[in-house]
Amino acid sequence: MQQISRLSRTDWFGPLLATVLAIAIIGSLSKNFLSPYNIQILLLAIAVNALIAFAQMIIIAIGQMNLSVGAIGGLAAISFAGMMEVWGLPALPAALLALVIGLLCGVLNGVLVRITGISAFVITLATLSIYKGINLGITEAQPFYGVPAAVKAFGAATILGPIPWLLAPTIAATVALWYMLRRLPVGRFILAVGSNDHAAGLSGISVGATVVIAHGISGFLAALAGILVVARLQIGQPSIGDDWLILSFAAPVIGGAVLAGGHVSVTATALGVVIVAIITQALVLFSIDPFLVQVVLGALILAAVGLNKLRARDTAKGSL
Amino acid sequence: MTLQDATYSSGTDDSPLGPRTGLSRSRFFLSNEFGLILLIAIFAIIFGFATKGFFSPFNLFALGRNSAVNIMIGLSMMSVIVTGGLNLAVGAMGVCAAMVCGWMIESLGIPWPLAIAGGLAFGALLGWINGWTVVRTGLHSFIITLATMSIFFGVMIFLTKAEAFRELPPVFTEFGRARVLGYVSPLLLVTLVVAVLLAWLYRGTVLGREMLAAGASPAAAELSGIRVGRMVILCHMLSGALAGIAALMLVARNGAAIPSMAGQLGQDWLLPAFLGPVLGGTLLQGGKVSVLGTVLGAFLVTMLTSGLLMLQIGAFWVQSFLGLMLLVAVLLDKARRSYLARRNLA
Repeated sequence: MQQISRLSRTDWFGPLLATVLAIAIIGSLSKNFLSPYNIQILLLAIAVNALIAFAQMIIIAIGQMNLSVGAIGGLAAISFAGMMEVWGLPALPAALLALVIGLLCGVLNGVLVRITGISAFVITLATLSIYKGINLGITEAQPFYGVPAAVKAFGAATILGPIPWLLAPTIAATVALWYMLRRLPVGRFILAVGSNDHAAGLSGISVGATVVIAHGISGFLAALAGILVVARLQIGQPSIGDDWLILSFAAPVIGGAVLAGGHVSVTATALGVVIVAIITQALVLFSIDPFLVQVVLGALILAAVGLNKLRARDTAKGSL
Repeated sequence: MTLQDATYSSGTDDSPLGPRTGLSRSRFFLSNEFGLILLIAIFAIIFGFATKGFFSPFNLFALGRNSAVNIMIGLSMMSVIVTGGLNLAVGAMGVCAAMVCGWMIESLGIPWPLAIAGGLAFGALLGWINGWTVVRTGLHSFIITLATMSIFFGVMIFLTKAEAFRELPPVFTEFGRARVLGYVSPLLLVTLVVAVLLAWLYRGTVLGREMLAAGASPAAAELSGIRVGRMVILCHMLSGALAGIAALMLVARNGAAIPSMAGQLGQDWLLPAFLGPVLGGTLLQGGKVSVLGTVLGAFLVTMLTSGLLMLQIGAFWVQSFLGLMLLVAVLLDKARRSYLARRNLA
């Protein structure tokens, strides 16, 4: 009993239980759900959505929010495709440059937030519009079709059975983030600044540098997600990233992230992504109106924040 | 007077609750509103010389019509910012209200004045849902309205099957096309009347003062006998109704109630919604509001968009420019505040 209550207090336990239950229920209702083809589609969605969620999670960790995740991802995506089509760059340098663009966009967010002291909400709303405008200015709302065959092949290739290659960068990013937030000083600094930036500053942490680093990581992850979407869609569409805002918040919140900052969990966020992907997929399998996906996402966010609130109250009671 | 008092009282308003007396002339020239008027005048002159037909009756008419909608969107956001919250769902709520109005006319055959009232009431109802959830859960309105934006819009698209209501009575299009005195759109007049009413609400009524107090310091307001929860809900309802008016204006302009008129999830309204209040000097922490500033801010944005389009800089770059402007505006506002604070202390 003691052990169960301790388990229920961890971030990942609830989402894990929900994931297992969802797989069991949907798997028993629909035979197609666990078919290799369907699992591959699920994993592809998870590969991209996890990066989007992590891009937001790292900013939630410092107690801010980043509305420009989608705009950075979109800008990186069209730069990646554009550099390959227009300049004829090979895929690897193009991807690296696109990642650098994402990183710079994120760093710019962080620097602006830090120098001006204006809330990250307003700053990232402004940069969202700037990055999206640059995206539209370059593409004039027309997609880049000239994605090389190598990238297309990478987007469709599988490692083992239904496991797509696109999952590899995501897994690397997940492990790196987990290691950083658990073991590396910079990760601990990020969480410290998120819990109480004043106290963090007084204990010798450079708050400014930490904020800029967190925003840089966020931009980098968003750009990586954008590149993966290009590989998956096989075109550089300017509208990539337009619908990432809700997605980016849903998974961290389901994973128990505290929006005030200082408390996030990579494992639970990843499980949150899995839950969202499974439910979205189930709606498609049962041929429920795709428009209802939005409703379900919104309801999931509400349910998750409500549960987190209750859990926080229980934990507070338990510690008394 | 502490430093903080100085920072907050040095703007256009005195204390968040105090009457707005003693606004001396030099203060006015340093105020946000004056800065906006100056910017509007400067850009009007630039566009007047640089483009052909910026002051043509047709363009002035179009400008008035567009700014009517943008100002209303800004006011809708402003009425929630008053409480220190945000409303990401303005676009979704507005479109839902307009679609309900269209549905009442087309499917139920309700006469249009009643349908308009019904649509606005529905907007207020959606606002009530937001406000009630925010108050009951105690969570920040950002996350609540992010979720409800998705829910409202999803349900609306599901019910309408993403189809527009096009068989509206001609009175809508006539109102959208009508011109008063040659080049003023009646939509702009509606907006101005609403703005005056809002200014009166915040300046001259107990209800408005209580809303401001609840935003400035919920704890202090609660202790002075104001029911803060109810005020937050009322502000959200007001926001919903105003978003509904903005969407109905778009219906008058388009001649149809279209589900996608505010973009996917109503996200297209987010930037104009924040540009107006932030340019106009409304504090995002709540408790301080400038209706005139919001109106001027939203008008400046509309004018710049129209002018830039006429200069043929490239329609696609306009969005970048608006973002840049938001950035510059908040920076200037910050600089102005700290300058005033220093001067007051000296």
